Amino acid sequence: MKLFSRYNRILILISFTGLILIGILFYQMLIFYLNRQLDHDLVEEVTEVKEYSTGGKFYSPHEFEDLIVEYHPIKATRSYAVYGDTLFYNPVKHHRENARFLRTEMNLNSKAYQILVIASKMEKQEQIKNICLIILLPVCLLLLVVLLVNRLLLRKIWNPFSQLLQNITDFNINQEKPYQPVEMPVAEFRQLNQVLVDLSGKIKSDYEEIKLFTENASHEMMTPLAIINSRLDNMLQSNNLDTREGEMLAELYRATSKLTRLNQSLLLLVKIDHNLLQDQHQIDLEALVKEKVLYFQELMQERNITIQTALSPVVIHANRQLIEILINNLFSNVIRHNYENGRIEIDLDAQQIIFRNTGHNPALDPGRIFDRFYKDSTSEGTGLGLAILKQICIRQHYALSYAYLKGLHTFTITFKP
Amino acid sequence: MKILIVEDEASLQSSISEYLSGLGNNCSGAISYTQALEKLDLYHYDCILLDLGLGDGEGLQLLSYLKRTNRAEGVIIISARNSLDDKLIGLGLGADDYLTKPFHLSELNARILAIIRRKSAHGERQIVFREITIDLDAKEVKVNGQLVHMTRKEFDLLLYFIANKGKVISKSAAVEHIWGDDADMADSFDFIYTHIRNIRKKLTDAGSGDYFQSVYGVGYKFINE
Repeated sequence: MKLFSRYNRILILISFTGLILIGILFYQMLIFYLNRQLDHDLVEEVTEVKEYSTGGKFYSPHEFEDLIVEYHPIKATRSYAVYGDTLFYNPVKHHRENARFLRTEMNLNSKAYQILVIASKMEKQEQIKNICLIILLPVCLLLLVVLLVNRLLLRKIWNPFSQLLQNITDFNINQEKPYQPVEMPVAEFRQLNQVLVDLSGKIKSDYEEIKLFTENASHEMMTPLAIINSRLDNMLQSNNLDTREGEMLAELYRATSKLTRLNQSLLLLVKIDHNLLQDQHQIDLEALVKEKVLYFQELMQERNITIQTALSPVVIHANRQLIEILINNLFSNVIRHNYENGRIEIDLDAQQIIFRNTGHNPALDPGRIFDRFYKDSTSEGTGLGLAILKQICIRQHYALSYAYLKGLHTFTITFKP
Repeated sequence: MKILIVEDEASLQSSISEYLSGLGNNCSGAISYTQALEKLDLYHYDCILLDLGLGDGEGLQLLSYLKRTNRAEGVIIISARNSLDDKLIGLGLGADDYLTKPFHLSELNARILAIIRRKSAHGERQIVFREITIDLDAKEVKVNGQLVHMTRKEFDLLLYFIANKGKVISKSAAVEHIWGDDADMADSFDFIYTHIRNIRKKLTDAGSGDYFQSVYGVGYKFINE
């Protein structure tokens, strides 16, 4: 649940419960005061009845007064006064109404009477209803306005926060541009922003350091490798080698060559990370793929792999070196992981280039296949070929995906995702 | 040929020297630029192998010096840095080639020969080995005057072996010569076997002798005798 909705839900719940409780209380209070006032009026009426009776007459109210006075002769008077709610039949309006009564006993013209005075509450009740409406309606309106303002205000106050979130999402360690700080009027957000700026700076400098370390370490290894290589080349010239020694030399060559390629691939990754290959050119991709088909043809012929291409004329704007490495790696991959009499399919159109190949492996894990050093143990490769592929696609803003479709390992690169 | 090797790694210097001397060259070494300058003042060379990463100063200054004094020596930069910028700067300052460490000595030798060939006054564009003639411009191979059709890679490989004739070339060196750095296919050693077999067959079919010799499964040798 969003912070907004959560906050608003609680706010609405509390304010409406409060409003209802206060409303009930308010209504009860009004009724209480109304009753008191009516009772007071009834006492007045009784006094009036008493005063009226000194003239020897019985007081009888007008019809429009909504008042009834009844006299019942009794034997003797006791002193009491009972107030209460009752219903009374309004003879003018011909319906029953809520009313208040007072029953008491007194002597009128020296005779004992029980006197019942009933006064209608109808009009007063109407008044109370109106008063309640007059007060409650604006309060409800006010509440609505408060909620609305709250919503707008919250959105405005939290706006820098969403911007902050967006910036964190956009932050890419590989890109040159640093983390973008946001202007914050709120102190807490400003603090958060500052922490993020510091943190991103630290991450970036640490990352740079690691890259520099990788680069230096790889470079430093090149000269010792050159020594091993050249010594091996000289040992190979010896006329006293036997088969066993020859095999050992071959193994040493293999290992050295692998180490060299590993180093070169690591350096290439660092180079792509550093965005050192920036100059962009128009590249005729169709021509490039055709050229590479020829370039790799012997490797495919040797294992009797058939290749089918469906190419359309496509020109892209990109770094030539990167695109060449990209195509080379795709070719290397589909040839290396193929089997004897296997098949390769290449589709190229303006949107994407697709490489498909048959292979011994069942479907590979699309989530891990582009990870560094993810390879099966039998592979002679460095385990960096596909990682380089991925890095180039990131650099060129291409989408790279893998799927296992109809028995073919399928690599798709979409140019404008 | 006289070759100056400017390289501070003594071990590498001596193995380069050993290999190139074995091919009939006259090698001398320098472990610093000062030493290199002293030698250059005294002698003339056909080719200079220059490590750019020496301790006592910028190798590029040595290049500028050679350019300023109009020296005729061919220069091959050997560097641990495989950077396009370094390459362009080096080549811009008059270097003839740029070789990234680690390299195979056979590759180095092939590059030296290519430079010498390019630099020589008459520009010898043909290589003749007994009945085999290689035309470098037309990229053609003839045996006793009869044209032998070869693919681009076969042609390159033959040229590479003839440049290092008498020396054993490891499969690893041959693969790297053909594929260079770009492809991650440099471990396709069996592939070299197919290529050599094809070259051999094409040459002997055209009436040439069989000069390729397999060496303990580790490499091949183009025999001289």
